[in-house]
Amino acid sequence: MAATAWEKTPLDNDRRTYHPDASEKVNILMVDDQPAKLLSYEVILAELGENLIKATSATEALEHLLKKDIAIVLTDVSMPDIDGFDLAEMIRQHPRFQKTAIIFISGVHLTDVDRVKGYRQGAVDYITVPVIPELLRAKVSVFAELHRKRRQLEVLNQELERRVAERTEELRERADLLELATEAVIVRDSEGRIQFWNAGAEELYGWRRDEVLGQNIHELLRTESVNGNDEWRLDVLLSGNWEGNLVHYARDGREIVVSSRQAVKTDGEGKAGAVLEINRDITARLKTEEALRKAERLAAMGRVAGIIAHEINNPLEAIINAFYLLRDHPSLDPEARGYALLGEEELQRVAHIVRQTLGFYRESQQPIAISVPKLINDVLEIQARHLQVNRIVLEKFYDREAVVFGFPVELKQVFLNLIANSVQAMPDGGRLRLRIHQHTSSTTQARGIAISICDTGSGIKPDDAKRLFEPFFSTKSVKGTGLGLWISKGIIQKHDGSIHFRSVRTANGCSTCFRVFLPEHTSATMPRASAAAGDAAGRSNGGSIG
Amino acid sequence: MAEAKSVILCVDDEAIPLTLRKSVLEKSGFAVIPASSGAEALAIIETQPVDLVLTDLLMPGLSGTDLARQIKQRRPELPVVLYSGVNEIPDDAECADMFLSKVEGPARMCEKIGNMLKSSRA
Repeated sequence: MAATAWEKTPLDNDRRTYHPDASEKVNILMVDDQPAKLLSYEVILAELGENLIKATSATEALEHLLKKDIAIVLTDVSMPDIDGFDLAEMIRQHPRFQKTAIIFISGVHLTDVDRVKGYRQGAVDYITVPVIPELLRAKVSVFAELHRKRRQLEVLNQELERRVAERTEELRERADLLELATEAVIVRDSEGRIQFWNAGAEELYGWRRDEVLGQNIHELLRTESVNGNDEWRLDVLLSGNWEGNLVHYARDGREIVVSSRQAVKTDGEGKAGAVLEINRDITARLKTEEALRKAERLAAMGRVAGIIAHEINNPLEAIINAFYLLRDHPSLDPEARGYALLGEEELQRVAHIVRQTLGFYRESQQPIAISVPKLINDVLEIQARHLQVNRIVLEKFYDREAVVFGFPVELKQVFLNLIANSVQAMPDGGRLRLRIHQHTSSTTQARGIAISICDTGSGIKPDDAKRLFEPFFSTKSVKGTGLGLWISKGIIQKHDGSIHFRSVRTANGCSTCFRVFLPEHTSATMPRASAAAGDAAGRSNGGSIG
Repeated sequence: MAEAKSVILCVDDEAIPLTLRKSVLEKSGFAVIPASSGAEALAIIETQPVDLVLTDLLMPGLSGTDLARQIKQRRPELPVVLYSGVNEIPDDAECADMFLSKVEGPARMCEKIGNMLKSSRA
């Protein structure tokens, strides 16, 4: 008979659900072709109180083995067809029966003893005939006990395995949860070497786990405290818990501000061990907060400006009306009326400045065609006296046909600001070069007019350059309001235009150029609040202006 | 002059601006009745013919918009112009027919009032 007899048995399939009860009786299979002998074994073993199963052939024995969990096979060696050794061979070939105890019953033949010794492994024993009942009982009882113990062990093992599986699953779930965390979760040892690095950390800093494990965290992330000192490191170790903001650098060099929570694991003697660190990226939040603070500051400024504008506008209206009435008054001679007219005109300018600096009053005006050369010349006329006093040489390069649609009073203010700045930057003389020409914006492809105003004045310092278009930023410590360029930028933006500047130091001093681009047509049919201070493009070194 | 002068009820709590404004309007050919408060203005429109009300916005007692609402309840056809030095048009300015800024100057004020009267007559 071949070993294939053991392939796939129903019991095999059920094995995972098979839980033998440790206190249960064990099955003892007795195999002998002589029923009388079986009967005698039954009598001998009855007092052990186990289940006794009889089989009169090896084939019958195998059937029982397949159906039941057999602890001990007690088999006669000499049987027709398949003898006891063949049966034992077949039993041993099956993995499930590796540990089944086999007791051979045999007459004393040397060959038999040798063969029994051949079964090196497993519980194998033999009994010679005539069978001594006590001996048989003792041997069977030992094996039965062994089987019971093994069963108990199996039960315990299964329980253990189940609990291990459960625990593993639990741990895996926790680890998965750590991976779910959007925070960077990092564990470092007492030397600062990274031991754990979750997906959040990969996402935040840009390094994969396998790239950072074992590396020093502080060197990798170039950890800095926000206030510049390193006291926090001591705090972490001393208090065991620390919370605060830190600056880290990501793989791409990006500076990241994190809200960090750190906890130190101490050993039994209170010595610091691993440190758990949970970092949340608050860079964007801080930026938003900063922007909000800025917006709030601007809003507060707007409210104050509104109140001031109202307080100025009321008396201003009365004074303008007074001059308006005066200028045509029949009692005045033409010269006096002329003065009244000048006064009224100048007051109108005050009114415009109030409107533009302090108020964002909406005009219901439509943009009109403006000759840019005429506009610039009007401004130069206002500045004529200063140009003369400061001995400034004017160079004009005008495209006489340059026309834009816009709001003339506002644009006039822009160029008055820029030209006055240039003039003030050249108290000891210099050159003011004005250029007006057709231009197509490289960014918006809009056709329009570019106006550049270049001076040989004191230049713009790099530190000032960044803040040049901010409200209340002035380099003219006492004289400036710090609103000129801020308002100018707002007006230009309203006209869909742009303003840039460049200040370079040359062999002969500084050269500062402001370049304004105005598209031919503006979408601003209704000028709105011109109170947007934005980023100004500019490269610079040297001097001051604004 | 075949046509009678249009009558403007001019309301402002401040005396000097009111007097000057009255003169400017008269110079442009309007007849002007001055009133120093909203209450006074309401009393006047009950008793005298008025073609247009030009009122300051921020006044003690009735504000310009309060006055405009009360006038519109009584005489919805009477044009009301809010006239102010504030730099932002108030949210409730729609209760009046027009918002006019003081910074626009006397000539434009007269021109806009003239236009408003023409369109209200049409």
